[in-house]
Amino acid sequence: MSASNFQSSALGKLLTYLSILLFLSIPWLLSALGLESAPYWVDVLNNIGLYTMLALSLNLILGQAGMFHMGHAAFFAVGAYTTAILNLNHGWSIMATMPVAALAAGFVAAVLAGPIIHLRGDYLLIVTIGIVEIVRIALTNDIFGLTGGPSGLFGIARPSFFGFKLTKPHHFFYFIWFMVILSLILFNWLENSRFGRALKFIKEDAVAAENMGINTTFYKFLAFVVGAAWAGVAGTVFACRLRTVSPESFNFGESVVLFTIVILGGSGSQKGVLLGSFLVMGLPQILRDFQDKRFLIFGAALVVMMIFRPQGLIPPKPARFCLPEPWAERYGSKGD
Amino acid sequence: MRILSLSNVTKTFGGLVAVGGVSCGVERGSVVGLIGPNGAGKTTVFNLITGSIKPDDGHIFFSGHSISGLKPHKVVTLGVARTFQTIRLFPKLSALENVLSGCHCRMRSGLISSVLRLPSQRLEEKLVIDRAMSELEFVGLARLWRSSSGSLPYGDQRRLEIARALATEPKLLILDEPAGGMNEQETIELRKLVFNIRDRDITVLLIEHDMSFVMHVCDQLLVMENGLLIAQGEPQDIQKDPKVIEAYLGVDDDR
Repeated sequence: MSASNFQSSALGKLLTYLSILLFLSIPWLLSALGLESAPYWVDVLNNIGLYTMLALSLNLILGQAGMFHMGHAAFFAVGAYTTAILNLNHGWSIMATMPVAALAAGFVAAVLAGPIIHLRGDYLLIVTIGIVEIVRIALTNDIFGLTGGPSGLFGIARPSFFGFKLTKPHHFFYFIWFMVILSLILFNWLENSRFGRALKFIKEDAVAAENMGINTTFYKFLAFVVGAAWAGVAGTVFACRLRTVSPESFNFGESVVLFTIVILGGSGSQKGVLLGSFLVMGLPQILRDFQDKRFLIFGAALVVMMIFRPQGLIPPKPARFCLPEPWAERYGSKGD
Repeated sequence: MRILSLSNVTKTFGGLVAVGGVSCGVERGSVVGLIGPNGAGKTTVFNLITGSIKPDDGHIFFSGHSISGLKPHKVVTLGVARTFQTIRLFPKLSALENVLSGCHCRMRSGLISSVLRLPSQRLEEKLVIDRAMSELEFVGLARLWRSSSGSLPYGDQRRLEIARALATEPKLLILDEPAGGMNEQETIELRKLVFNIRDRDITVLLIEHDMSFVMHVCDQLLVMENGLLIAQGEPQDIQKDPKVIEAYLGVDDDR
């Protein structure tokens, strides 16, 4: 590795940290500027953060394992309702419900995955659309007398940390974006592990992967369950942010939005998913001036995108490996 | 001692008997060639051994285990690795990553240790790269470790597939037409590679149409025609076997 190369990578890291810092100071900057709409824009960013979390969890299933799953809102709903029910009926604190929400969503995914995991491409897509509809209808029909029917559940408590209660949009900003950064780190580690590589091999060629000793059924199942569990965690964040959950928040449209974020941003790429969330969730807000034409503009942009850049805006980069000695000396230490 | 034995293995596709009651064995430490005209059922036998398809009847034993009907990944874990007739690498991934796919079944790190980056997981990642590089060096491709496998020349892709299969630490390596599409120089190098593999105490079973390659490399030959095993023995005997000559050249009608 040459010196200039090292400097540029160090500079790149510095710029990344600086931009993260700049981003995290946005709520403060907005209020310092005295903008009246500051809370509104912070709220938009919160929404983007929540969808980034969800899209990252879907990215594990859709982007990395290559499974066409269009029912992610179902697991998001299970997490949100778990938090709502535990908090309202049993008085649990919000943060205590988070692991249970993850387990509940993961459990539902595990039960559903059994019979459908072997389905390929479009067949899986249709079944998962069915799943999200079943969950929505079950919630609307007040299943087990717990979900409150069409109007849902309200009055969910706000989360508090060491006695500090999150109430304002900028409080939630830091909570949500902490969760986003945590998601980015955890999913990045997962991607560059034995588990993540197995998913990559399955996506590239499932038959070859199976013949190289990878239990393809098991890993697809695991990706489905882990992705769903993290959507459950996002459900907790959703429930305590809006303090209300209702079936209409988890309809098929939400699943499509998440699917779009991953495909548009770049399947299997964290940077792509991040950018995708900003575009899909943020752009309609910026285009508000165009009133009802904004979704037309947005839709047209998507069509153009898919024609000219079907791999997504930021497709995943090849994995990097550092060779240990003596290989590094013989064959070069870094590779893209 | 037999490392692999097939007894009365049968597979039909619709009305076609692809493999009709084949019984044979492969001695440990040998290089065995499976030959026969196109459509004889050779690749079907390979698919049956590796678990890609299930036999309708009969049994397959590998070093003491019954492996008939097991899923491919289980068969690999028991020590049988394969390459494909039409190359099936992961073309977008680097040569190193391709070999890492073979290492997977000998690794232990699970979900929890990966998501928490435990020291055991990080150590294993280091060791596995070392292991993959050794296999790349063994087939002579170490300097190309970062190249995407789809961009490699054909002969290199064949050798990379062998490296990937070796990374699963097999006791039996199954090669489906390893010399297919190789030029003369590459075929000679492949011959050396097969001997080097045998010297690692790995038994080799291969399908090949290049007869000079087969005669040079194999200790034993199995000959198939129309789903049946018609001859087995040492290469020089097989060459003289009238049944084999008939299968390859046909009978003279005038006689």
